[in-house]
Amino acid sequence: MRAFLAGARMQLRFFRAYPDGLIPFFTAPMFSIIFQMNFRHAGRQDLTAYAAIAPVFIALWWLALFNSGWTITTERWNGTIEMLVAAPSSFAANIFGRITTTTLVGVVSFVETWGVARLIFGTKVTIHHVWPFLATVVVTLAAMAGTAVAMAALFVLARNATTFSNSASFPFYVLGGILVPVSVLPHWIQPLSSAVFLSWSADLLRAALRPTPMHDFAFRLGMVAFLGACGLAVGTWSMRVILVRVRGSGELGTT
Amino acid sequence: MRNLVSNARVAWYAILSGANDYWAIFTLKSWIFGWCVRMISQVSFFALIGKLLRSDLQTEFLLVGNAVVIAAAAATFAMFMTTSERGNGTLSLLLASPSRPVVVFAARGVYVMADGVFSALLGLFILGPAFGLHFPFPRILLVIPLTLLVGTSAYCFSTFLAGVILRYREITGLVVNATIVTLMALCGVNVPVSFYPTWLGWISRCLPITNGLEAIRDVINGSPWSSIAAHTGAELLVASVWLSLALATFGRFMRAGQRDGSLEYAS
Repeated sequence: MRAFLAGARMQLRFFRAYPDGLIPFFTAPMFSIIFQMNFRHAGRQDLTAYAAIAPVFIALWWLALFNSGWTITTERWNGTIEMLVAAPSSFAANIFGRITTTTLVGVVSFVETWGVARLIFGTKVTIHHVWPFLATVVVTLAAMAGTAVAMAALFVLARNATTFSNSASFPFYVLGGILVPVSVLPHWIQPLSSAVFLSWSADLLRAALRPTPMHDFAFRLGMVAFLGACGLAVGTWSMRVILVRVRGSGELGTT
Repeated sequence: MRNLVSNARVAWYAILSGANDYWAIFTLKSWIFGWCVRMISQVSFFALIGKLLRSDLQTEFLLVGNAVVIAAAAATFAMFMTTSERGNGTLSLLLASPSRPVVVFAARGVYVMADGVFSALLGLFILGPAFGLHFPFPRILLVIPLTLLVGTSAYCFSTFLAGVILRYREITGLVVNATIVTLMALCGVNVPVSFYPTWLGWISRCLPITNGLEAIRDVINGSPWSSIAAHTGAELLVASVWLSLALATFGRFMRAGQRDGSLEYAS
């Protein structure tokens, strides 16, 4: 727990020192404007919920993806990764603390995105199913953090984590159906989408903004939790295996 | 004349150096499975909105706009050149040399822009037919030089911004990303310029992409040649203005940084 909190504190300091980490808070409102314009221009104000949810996912995914990638890379660049791994506290807990903090900070994008929609377009986002919405947000944040831990583990081995980070944004936005539901995608892609927690989560959040009843809520929420937990389990296990291996080969700090 | 030859030589070496950087970043495998997949997904992401709206016109509009914007986005990435010169510790050498730093900066990122233009065209010609669009041949070939024009125009704009942010390397990523999304919102990429309020429409026309993209849409829609020529001319004008601004101000921004010590030479 102490390692987790230390990681969280460290991440908050990073945000202050490196404003680049705050990129999604500048881009999320712009994406909100783009999507709102798309639907307004097409005369489809009924799709406001889609435009309200997608920028939040973009912000959260960006934060998880880039911060988990950069977490390891910056430790390597700073020459501190050896000390972090050699410390008696858990390396994984420290990294998870940093990733969780980043993900929680991402909640700000909800306020921004919906604020911009209201201020510029006069669009009011109504949450018709408050409790399911809140539950989905909490589980989504946890799943996001869990998935990010898996990425962090992968980045320990990847020599160029940023190339992966730069490439893994839009493919997941499409697969996760964060703006356009998975049902609109070609049939052969849809099974792949089911393995991405974003698709379950985005569907649930959109449903919570519609007045119609939500079906199979518990199962769909369970899928978000399950896929997020899989990410966390894979991440924690791989980090353990990878650390043993790179310690043995002396490659840990190689940049 | 001698000056011109000397600048051309510096630019050529800067381009070579940039190309070597490029191959250090990407292998063919990582370009195809990393960048290319991302680019195809990005264009599809927006084109799918048209499918959601069940409108072929919207699908075409969004696909063309978001494919072409890839060229401009890549050109905007060139802003990272300034940061990397500082990161590599080569900025001091560049400043001490008798050549103009702006020539190096303007040339060093050309490969990023060229890659962006190629990717944009790849996206357009792969995804267009995949989404059921029919491009008029041979007229469609005009899209190739026009996309190059859009990329160049965005690159001139990016070089100007690179000078502005030269002293603030901590926010380079922020400026690059915010610029790309802002251009996507304001340059008629996702909605026609006529959708904007009049004042915003004028701002949009002064930015790169807008006019060139309209010329590209004209080519695809079979609009009169006069309209294509007018939009192409406007994009050329916009590109020239941004390039002139970059050439006029880059040195000043750099000297200001040297004077107040904000231009530290390594990260």
